Amino acid sequence: MRHSNVFAQSQMSVGQKLIHMHWFFILLLSLTAVIGFAMLYSAAGASFDPWASRQMVRFVLGLMGLMVLAVTDIRLWLRYSYGIYFVVLALLIAVEVAGFVGMGAQRWISFGIFNIQPSELMKIAVVLALARYFHGGSLEEIERPTYLVPPILLVIVPAVLIVRQPDLGTTLMILLASAGMFFAAGVRMWKFALVGAMGLAAAPVAWFYVLRDYQRSRILTFINPEDDTLGASYHIIQSKIALGSGGLFGKGFLQGTQGHLNFLPEKQTDFIFTMLAEEFGLTGGLILLALYTMLLVYGFSISISSRNHFGRLVGMGVTLTFFLYVFINIAMVMGLIPVVGVPLPLVSYGGTAMLTILLGFGLLMSVHIHRDLVIGRRDSGDDL
Amino acid sequence: MSKNTASEQAILFDSLDPDRIRVESARKLALETGRTRLLVTGVVLCLAFAALAVRLAELTAFGIPPGVRLASLSPHNKPITARADIRDRNAMLIATSLPTRSLFADPRDVMDIEEAALKLGALLPNLSAEDVRHKLALGGRFQWIARNLTPTQVYAVNRLGLPGFSFRDGERRVYPFGPIFAHVLGYTDVDGRGIAGVERAFDEKLSEPVAPGETRGIDLALDLRFQTILREELAAAQQRFSAVGAAGVVIDAKTGEVLAMASLPDFNPNEPEQALGKNGFNRATKGVYEMGSTFKLFSTATALDSGAVSIADGYDTSEPIKAARFTINDFHGKKRWLSVPEILVYSSNIGTAKMALEVGAKKQKEYMRRFGMLSPAAIEIPEVGHPLYPERWGEISTMTISYGHGIAVSPLHVASGVATLVNGGVMHPPSILKRDANSLIVEERVLAPKTSATMRALMRLVVRFGTGKNADVKGYRVGGKTGTAEKQVGGGYSEDALVSSFVGAFPMNDPRYVVLVVIDEPKGIKSSFGFATGGWVAAPAVKSIVGRIAALTGMLPQDVSDEEPIKPGTPFYIPARATQPAPKIALGGIARAAH
Repeated sequence: MRHSNVFAQSQMSVGQKLIHMHWFFILLLSLTAVIGFAMLYSAAGASFDPWASRQMVRFVLGLMGLMVLAVTDIRLWLRYSYGIYFVVLALLIAVEVAGFVGMGAQRWISFGIFNIQPSELMKIAVVLALARYFHGGSLEEIERPTYLVPPILLVIVPAVLIVRQPDLGTTLMILLASAGMFFAAGVRMWKFALVGAMGLAAAPVAWFYVLRDYQRSRILTFINPEDDTLGASYHIIQSKIALGSGGLFGKGFLQGTQGHLNFLPEKQTDFIFTMLAEEFGLTGGLILLALYTMLLVYGFSISISSRNHFGRLVGMGVTLTFFLYVFINIAMVMGLIPVVGVPLPLVSYGGTAMLTILLGFGLLMSVHIHRDLVIGRRDSGDDL
Repeated sequence: MSKNTASEQAILFDSLDPDRIRVESARKLALETGRTRLLVTGVVLCLAFAALAVRLAELTAFGIPPGVRLASLSPHNKPITARADIRDRNAMLIATSLPTRSLFADPRDVMDIEEAALKLGALLPNLSAEDVRHKLALGGRFQWIARNLTPTQVYAVNRLGLPGFSFRDGERRVYPFGPIFAHVLGYTDVDGRGIAGVERAFDEKLSEPVAPGETRGIDLALDLRFQTILREELAAAQQRFSAVGAAGVVIDAKTGEVLAMASLPDFNPNEPEQALGKNGFNRATKGVYEMGSTFKLFSTATALDSGAVSIADGYDTSEPIKAARFTINDFHGKKRWLSVPEILVYSSNIGTAKMALEVGAKKQKEYMRRFGMLSPAAIEIPEVGHPLYPERWGEISTMTISYGHGIAVSPLHVASGVATLVNGGVMHPPSILKRDANSLIVEERVLAPKTSATMRALMRLVVRFGTGKNADVKGYRVGGKTGTAEKQVGGGYSEDALVSSFVGAFPMNDPRYVVLVVIDEPKGIKSSFGFATGGWVAAPAVKSIVGRIAALTGMLPQDVSDEEPIKPGTPFYIPARATQPAPKIALGGIARAAH
């Protein structure tokens, strides 16, 4: 027994762990990031400055962070899950208070050379906290409605704080990812139906009291984009024109007019997929989607093959978060859902999203490396 | 190390303790449930990506989806379609649309209203800083600032770099010939909708979307050259006789096509605000007037065609007719028996009234209806006036209507009716649209061809020997009839305010054109011996028009020697004697006009 695989795995050195890393996954995400560099190079008018060069530096740094997270024993993450969650929650409250005191809508905390957006970190922190909570619960316990109160609070508190920032996109992602985790944890379907019905009932209240004017106008624009071609739907219409002008193979690298003539808003961030599709057409778009799908499939296969519930839930939460980034962004630029400011992971310019994704994948890698480690239900990792 | 061992042992003990086995299997079940659900989630998410791929293919490979065309970039939902051209009968462009751009503002986005107001006010003509301030203060999300800017102005406004201001593409209606077609063509409002004349009548057709390659437009019956001549001569007559207005019509006697139609005062449709008030009133179709003696043509035709009167008959015109409180007198009184041709040539009210009595009210009304005098002119443009005639068409009405009083019609009615008189007796509804071989021409027989032939001869006599002498153009056999009616002012008739007209046709052996000129309230002048009557005011204008049209269309002068002379004893014999009224009456007219 002592020489079982379980034992061996917890004894692996850092070097051994690195060898067990899912390198093909790292390759896939690097390829995706390279596509991002190319698009940022194009967006800047065939220049590494100002976006592509910085994005590369961030990616390399983020990749190093990913490695560190990956080789860390997963029980450590289990042990510090709540700690991480509450630290991030404190940061979130700090941002809220700072904004309240008079700095306007502030989402950032500045640490000198880099800024931290606590709401982004919260995406990972919620995943960890929920995974920890459900890891400790039996199926019978999950049946009890009261058992679900703490995790719901774990989700609702940060969600309320973030929606007040206001950041609808991030709130939505946290809610959806959490719902996915509740589902994976075994919560009965009818409970989801109940929550869904309550959500629908609450929608009018949210419409009038929670959503800001610009958020309402985005939703209205989504319902009828031709209503307001110069206003909120301008982005989407320009985006669709760019996509439509791409055709099968695109206009060619650096040749996209919509992007280069600045018809596309935020072409280096939220609308970078449009640029890609304009310059590389359907082919380019499908290649990127294929990369994302492979990352998604591997994310799930890693989660499923984990022998501990915590790792499975963490992997699932991280992969789901990644999926939501991709889906919301691409569906948005193609006019399938209203405009929400969600970047395209690994491709859009921006440090925080890159950091979130790479740290999340770091956890996923840790799940993968420690996949055969069995952790008891009552085991909180304290005895590591 | 030891911690790990402890944990491993815990697991081992777990599996060995019978009480725990149930728990363990529950854990396994939980894992199984989790696994299944993970699998389901994964598949669903992959399907979501597949949906994205499908949408991507739809957007890229299959082009821009319907509803997101480039045209939708213009802020208006409806694409602005170019309004079709309007052409005259010779394909001359008389109304077209040019693309322009108009400046509008979203007041919410304007950062500095004061700056914007001052800069735009200084830059654009017809726009003051105060205007801009006022418009921006109205709020909302859309305010027009200035319409129809030139490319240079657009450039200059863009150079100002003011936020909140944008341009909207539009088009401006342009009438290359300005006021020449004013009333008949009409005009459009700022949004390009036709609101008068042909523009309004055919608004729907003019704004229809056009198929690629199709040359769109409406071909009018109007002839630019005829129209120009008519308008010039009307303006000259109006000016010479200090008239308040004038109207004229030239129609094709054989088809009813309106070749020219004008009304003065007019306006320039390029600046539609000029059409406000009197200038916009189309006297040729909308105005109804008691036309006076020109109506005797219809009365004579009715009398002859109905068989009530023969061309060889004669009537005593020596005594005025007294009926109730009316007395019917002759202006050019001959105080004797007059033959039927003489009654028309000398324009005898007494004789015409007596002939009408022989026809009777019922028949007269029936003929008037057939001449189209009892309903609005059947022309396409919307500005048509409804004729006025008595409810109770009694004996007195029969007599007054016979010489054009007690019935008010538009000038177009008269021109159209005269076309019927001279073209063989067939009524064509007047048309503003060009007729070609394929056009369905509505026609209704009103008179026997024989009656029409007699009327042609009589009309020619009026010009040769009667009140219409001033309209004769040598070699073109002009025939016609003068009319001078006193306008109704308040309850009675004013002797100073006349409607003087002449309706003619030529050449009378085979009439091609009917020309009508109506002068509203002309004042007598020295060269007309103080007269402001149709023969002195309108007939010379018709003469000029006929001469110019004949020259323009290359119509050769005819040998008219066959006309001379008419032997005594034939019905058309007119005794050769002075038919001009004595000048002293005319001077009295001036005196009346002076006070």
